[in-house]
Amino acid sequence: MISLNDCDPGFKFEVAAEPGGAGIKACFACAACSARCPVAGHREEYDPRRIIRLTLLGRREEVLSSPLIWLCSACYSCQEVCPQQVRFTEVLTAIKNLAAKAGYAPPSAKQIAGLLAGHGRLLAVTEFENEKRAELGLPAVEERGADYAAILGIAPEAAEAGEEA
Amino acid sequence: MTIISTPVLILGGGVAGVSAALELARRGVPSVLAEKGPRLGGRVRDFCCKATQACVHCGACRLGDLLAEAAARPEAAFRSLALAAEAQREGGVWQVELRPQPDEGEADPLAQPLAEKTTVNAQAVILAVGYEPFDPRRKTRFGYGRVPGVMTALELEAMLGQGVLVGHDGQPPESVAFIQCVGSRDESLGNLYCSRVCCGFALDMAGLIKEGWPETAVTFFHMDVQGYGPSWEEALPHMRQAIDFVRAMPGEVSAGENGPRVCFAGPDGQPRSREFGLVALSQGLTPPASAGALSEMFGLNRNQDGFLGEDAALAVSGAQGVFVAGTAQGPRGIVESIDHAALAAGAAMESLFRAGKEAAHG
Ligand SMILES: Cc1cc2nc3c(=O)[nH]c(=O)nc-3n(C[C@H](O)[C@H](O)[C@H](O)COP(=O)(O)OP(=O)(O)OC[C@H]3O[C@@H](n4cnc5c(N)ncnc54)[C@H](O)[C@@H]3O)c2cc1C
Ligand code: SF4
Ligand code: SF4
Ligand code: SF4
Ligand code: SF4
Repeated sequence: MISLNDCDPGFKFEVAAEPGGAGIKACFACAACSARCPVAGHREEYDPRRIIRLTLLGRREEVLSSPLIWLCSACYSCQEVCPQQVRFTEVLTAIKNLAAKAGYAPPSAKQIAGLLAGHGRLLAVTEFENEKRAELGLPAVEERGADYAAILGIAPEAAEAGEEA
Repeated sequence: MTIISTPVLILGGGVAGVSAALELARRGVPSVLAEKGPRLGGRVRDFCCKATQACVHCGACRLGDLLAEAAARPEAAFRSLALAAEAQREGGVWQVELRPQPDEGEADPLAQPLAEKTTVNAQAVILAVGYEPFDPRRKTRFGYGRVPGVMTALELEAMLGQGVLVGHDGQPPESVAFIQCVGSRDESLGNLYCSRVCCGFALDMAGLIKEGWPETAVTFFHMDVQGYGPSWEEALPHMRQAIDFVRAMPGEVSAGENGPRVCFAGPDGQPRSREFGLVALSQGLTPPASAGALSEMFGLNRNQDGFLGEDAALAVSGAQGVFVAGTAQGPRGIVESIDHAALAAGAAMESLFRAGKEAAHG
């Protein structure tokens, strides 16, 4: 049972204030999104409608700490069928941003952030790539790790974590 | 070219238009009603009685009573095949030009077909031009027009009216699904409103199917049940036994091996799909096709949902001497449309009375 005492009524407004999050308030729980979600077809616990309901109810910690919110494949199927223009894929991005701020980002997301911060892309550029580029007459790519980290506002430790991966 | 003068001109001869004419006639006020089609009665003409053990108050048979009374009232004059083409207001009088429409050969004995271009001079005009059923082709994912066995609620209604029930393969279906809110409560279509009648007619049709074909399983895909009326609480427990209520809007309807396949989320949130012998789409009510033309002709605004008229509760349109009755103003059922038409007739009479008083006092 859910006690209203454990709910944070401000949570939905917090989500709605994030870029892409505004649509959440229009959801009327019709479940068309859940019907079309390919991830829900594979993971029993994953249910877009449930994530929205929990958010609207104000189950802040439960939603932000849930590993499920990171499973979305961003295929946009839910967004396509939604009669209410909720734009759930984007709402979920908003929720994930809040989760990351609250320190709930999973290790894989941290690694990805680290790679981005360290290399400006999801792959390190090595001599192999630059040799190939030279063969094609393209200029070499020079990594400027410090700049990336600064642009992304990510601490160098996170960048380190990415390097190790 | 003929010229007729009448206190009230009514456009549209559905239940709302006929009710407005009757309400005026009962108070001795003459009117002319112009129906663009060959027959009176509007959409309700094609509706069947949905009584099972007892009357379910669908309202369809009210039309017969209305038409019978109208036939006996000399104050109400009915013209068929008459379409308003132009209107202008001069000295407190609307001059409306009616043009005859091509005859489709099924004349209504109650209405006289318009023979030639006719100008009607009327102090008040009541617009009772009805609604347009939502075209489910616009909701592509439900498969209408593509997937055999998917039909509109109106098509199912017409079939049941003939005492017939056949699904995708021309045989009586083992299972029937209703999908609710098709074209209503849908921001992606810009239709933000509930159509008010579709839960009622779908459940009434479901009841009729369970009575005539008890072996047929009926599933009802919905978000919530609206506007069913005061008997809902009473009827629900019985309905829950007979009908499978699934609280989810399907994601898609595609062609399956044994009929249309509906994909939806179960109570656990898991997507699943099931095949049905027949899928009926409960299409909503959308503004009348002539809403744009009429709002221009009479200089009135359309409300936020695109229907005619500004104030539903007063049946006033916003233009002088123009009133709106029935579904032309917004979604409502048959009985509600009859009541709303009485309201419009009352408002029109009041305007005649006021105009008369002003004339008397100079
Ligand atoms: C699938 C379905 C099932 C329904 N089942 C039920 C039910 O079981 N019970 C219930 O209460 N309600 C039901 N309804 C609603 C019902 O159809 C309406 O309440 C009713 O028809 C409204 O009557 P009306 O006179 O306002 O409009 P209409 O019935 O649409 O009549 C309008 C008339 O105006 C004419 N017209 C249109 N434009 C013009 C013009 N420019 N000039 C002159 N004439 C014009 C049309 O030809 C028509 O004759 C159902 C609706 C749908 C879509
Ligand atoms: S499809 Fe849209 S309105 Fe329906 S439950 Fe999903 S997000 Fe909410
Ligand atoms: S975008 Fe995410 S939530 Fe939406 S259907 Fe795809 S996987 Fe499911
Ligand atoms: S109101 Fe409907 S169900 Fe009742 S008798 Fe009339 S047509 Fe039949
Ligand atoms: S009456 Fe029922 S089916 Fe029709 S729009 Fe309203 S809720 Fe949806």
